[in-house]
Amino acid sequence: MSILANKDTRVVIQGGQAGVNAARRMAEFCYLIKRPLNVEAFVYPPDAGKTNEIPYGSGLLAIPVYKSIAEATKNHPTLNTSLVYIGADRAMKGGMEALDDPHIKVVSMITEGVPEKDAKILGAHARKLGKVFNGPSSIGIISAGACRLGVIGGAFDNLVLSKLYREGSFGVITKSGGLSNEIIWICSQFADGITTAIGIGGDAYPGTDYVSYLEMFENDPQTKAVVIVGEMGGDLEERAAEWYGAKKRRVKLIAVVSGFCQESLPKGMKFGHAGAKEGMKGEGSARSKSDALKKAGALVPPTFGALGPAIKETYEDLLKSGQVKAPVEPAVLPRLPKTVEEAMKADEVMVAPLIRTTISDDRGDEPCYDGYPASELINKGYEIPHVIGLLWDKRLISKQEAEIIKRIMMLSADHGPCVSGAYATILAACAGIGLSQSVAAGMIMIGPRFGGAVTDAGRFFKYAVDNKMSVDEFLAYMKKNHGPVPGIGHRVKSLRNPDKRVKELVGYVKSLKVKTPCLDFALEVEKVTSVKKDNLILNVDGTMAAVLVDIGFPIDSLNGFFILSRTIGLIGHWVDQKRQDSRLIRLFDYLVNYAAPKRREVPPLK
Amino acid sequence: MAKVLEGPGMGLMKKWGINVPNYVVVTSVDELTKLGQANEWLKKSKLVAKAHEALGSRFKLGLVKVDLDFKAAEAATKEMIGRQVGSITVTQVIVSEMIPHKEEYYCAVKSTREGTEILVANCGGIEVESNWERVKRLCLEIGQSPSPESLEKLSKEAGFSGALAKKMAEFAGKMFACFDSEDAQYLEVNPVVLRAGDDELVALDAVTLLDGDAKFRHPDWNFAFAAEFGRAYSKQELEVMAVDSKIKGSVKFIEIPGGDTAMLPAGGGASVYYSDAVVARGGKLANYAEYSGDPPDWAVEVLTEKVCSLPGIRNIIVGGAIANFTDVKKTFGGIINGFRKAKSEGKLKNVKIWVRRGGPREKEGLDAMRALKDEGFDINVFDRNTPLTDIVDKALQAK
Repeated sequence: MSILANKDTRVVIQGGQAGVNAARRMAEFCYLIKRPLNVEAFVYPPDAGKTNEIPYGSGLLAIPVYKSIAEATKNHPTLNTSLVYIGADRAMKGGMEALDDPHIKVVSMITEGVPEKDAKILGAHARKLGKVFNGPSSIGIISAGACRLGVIGGAFDNLVLSKLYREGSFGVITKSGGLSNEIIWICSQFADGITTAIGIGGDAYPGTDYVSYLEMFENDPQTKAVVIVGEMGGDLEERAAEWYGAKKRRVKLIAVVSGFCQESLPKGMKFGHAGAKEGMKGEGSARSKSDALKKAGALVPPTFGALGPAIKETYEDLLKSGQVKAPVEPAVLPRLPKTVEEAMKADEVMVAPLIRTTISDDRGDEPCYDGYPASELINKGYEIPHVIGLLWDKRLISKQEAEIIKRIMMLSADHGPCVSGAYATILAACAGIGLSQSVAAGMIMIGPRFGGAVTDAGRFFKYAVDNKMSVDEFLAYMKKNHGPVPGIGHRVKSLRNPDKRVKELVGYVKSLKVKTPCLDFALEVEKVTSVKKDNLILNVDGTMAAVLVDIGFPIDSLNGFFILSRTIGLIGHWVDQKRQDSRLIRLFDYLVNYAAPKRREVPPLK
Repeated sequence: MAKVLEGPGMGLMKKWGINVPNYVVVTSVDELTKLGQANEWLKKSKLVAKAHEALGSRFKLGLVKVDLDFKAAEAATKEMIGRQVGSITVTQVIVSEMIPHKEEYYCAVKSTREGTEILVANCGGIEVESNWERVKRLCLEIGQSPSPESLEKLSKEAGFSGALAKKMAEFAGKMFACFDSEDAQYLEVNPVVLRAGDDELVALDAVTLLDGDAKFRHPDWNFAFAAEFGRAYSKQELEVMAVDSKIKGSVKFIEIPGGDTAMLPAGGGASVYYSDAVVARGGKLANYAEYSGDPPDWAVEVLTEKVCSLPGIRNIIVGGAIANFTDVKKTFGGIINGFRKAKSEGKLKNVKIWVRRGGPREKEGLDAMRALKDEGFDINVFDRNTPLTDIVDKALQAK
């Protein structure tokens, strides 16, 4: 058996993320003892109508969130316990709401820093209704093998180590959350473990005190002894002593009290929990509590360290007198499924990766491009073209190559508002569309007729150079297999009206005295084609393509140089329209040649 | 429990209709001089000047001067401001009017488990301390307010009679109203005096302890709480308090000058057991510290730096029970960073570090601590199988 929390306990949790975290811990315990999750509902108005996902074993449970306790208990009539994880300023209202619901019999408040007055009002209200109000500042309640309320008991491994999967013979009541776990552990190592452990919270006036729980333990035949971990301040330990000494009790009482250090500290220096404060006249000191407990017949070890042996001694007496039998441990315990990461770390599982990357990694404290940390690249004077080289071609390009790329980008950053890309972006901007979508609209225009010829131009020039074709052979090959030569021809520019960007780029690259076989070939092609027709000149796409192939960039990356550069212009156009607060535009009728059939009658539907 | 200095304490009483002497709190003589021009009572009445600081035995220290005229009050103020008492510098002086009176009484309201208790005695000052049986009580349950009849009955039980009994009952009623409405935990007026001339009851000296947790519903609490141990908070303590107010979970730090055993334990409960163990083994605490509620690692790092900076320490106790949800690896990460920083600053020479802990990710956390040995730290690491406070025994036995 156990007290307060058992196999019939059905829980609603009031609160947000802290409550969800607690539910996850509670689900781990339920999984360990092979019982369904005891949390049926959450109450948290901001998330009402949604569900919280709680892992259980290797699966996920969806637990509904309601806006009020009434709504939760209406939908889950078996609810009988509430855990309050609401902030201190709203905790009283939440606690009252739970206490006032006829279904709820136990309310445990985890919230810390609740005003003393509020805690007293909640405690008094619960007593009036004959219910239990535990806390505030409670770490929770756990009954071995039956029920966990809150995070008490800690991580899954600790639940197993502390043998919380099956009942022992010791009850535990503590003010401190951390020490509750310590005592549970001690009871499992020096004795047969616990029945129920309760954190009553470290506040001055907890809703339920030691005596109420001692009374419950006294009436629970499975509990043979109770361990109390006390603190200086208040009179709860004295009351417990009074209860224990009042008449012969079935349960044995073992107790320790902290705060002896106060005797040798400057007066008024206050340590620990809110409730840990000595009274004006020495009442509530560790010594007076400890003396009262001893006088009442409790076993009071001199230090915390002596608690283990004291519990052991008590347990051995119980064994000898036949009041308890040595527990039988289950042969196999459920193990909490590992996450994929944990299992991989333990070399227990192999996962086929979904994607593979060979260029970058940002799992450390900063991104690495092809292995080089970004900050180191910056500090050693590398620039954007080098990053492009690393991410597009996985190599550190030279200063000279970087300069060429920089110039290409500067020359192709924008080409005015009339070209397809910029026009599409402006049209979208005027329609009130956001930046990324408007730029994407412009981006969509890049293709075989606008800006998208760089890759193909590079591919064919390279093909010709690799196969040592003459210009005539190349033009014949293109005519037969592909059609017009990409990178040759311009809508506006011609021999007489040359493209200055091309002249600039060719001039610069030629001045470098490096080998440029593709560019040389492209210029030879232009000589032939421009004789045939005045505007069949080497255009900026073709020039870029030839130069980029010459400095070794992969063919498939070539369009990227135009896309990247032009993005600068497209963003500029969007910002420009936005700044002007441009109105919506549409085509005028006179700009459309309406070649559709004249208006006519619709025939009957057949 | 948060202590409030006399000035703001009297302000709260005044708010609830309790007669208090006229008073001003000043930070300089010039301020007092200007106030003297604006307030006639300062020139007319006999005055009391007191250092307005969280100091015990102010009378003995010469920080309370009575029966002053305005000039003498100015002189007293000048003398007190800037005076150094231990770690405290006097920065404020409260100057109040002396209330001519013959009779002194006592009234207090305190928090009990059931609710509230109102205490009244028809003697006051030091007399009540030695005649505690003359204090009469009225116990109230939480949510209950005292009726005028019950207060008058209390007043009569305490030995008041006639019109005075009624006045004392009213006074106690106002004290209760102040206590209840201001989320007080303790209000004590000693003495309550019967003012010569108009026979009104006036609160002459008061102790006010408020519930700091209720600050959120008292926007007019625009005063700072005072340290409760007879000294001001040190710079290091204030820095840790500033961190504490910003984070989830908590970090706490109090210095105890002269100690050689530094504390860096986890949890409000275990920390006191660790301190007890040090005292029980004859050690001298250099501080109290605690971190709890899974605080961020940087906050634990700040706390660690403060602990490492304590002068003359020989041992650092990094103790802790088996945590429920505080991530041991993460919080130890903060401690390790703090240790490394301290070491790089030349601290921690000849300091032994003792570690004992359990909880989520305990193995990873303890392994990381053990690895500090390779960096030249004198560190001894134990897991859950070593009882909680055994590291204190080991530390204090080690030479």
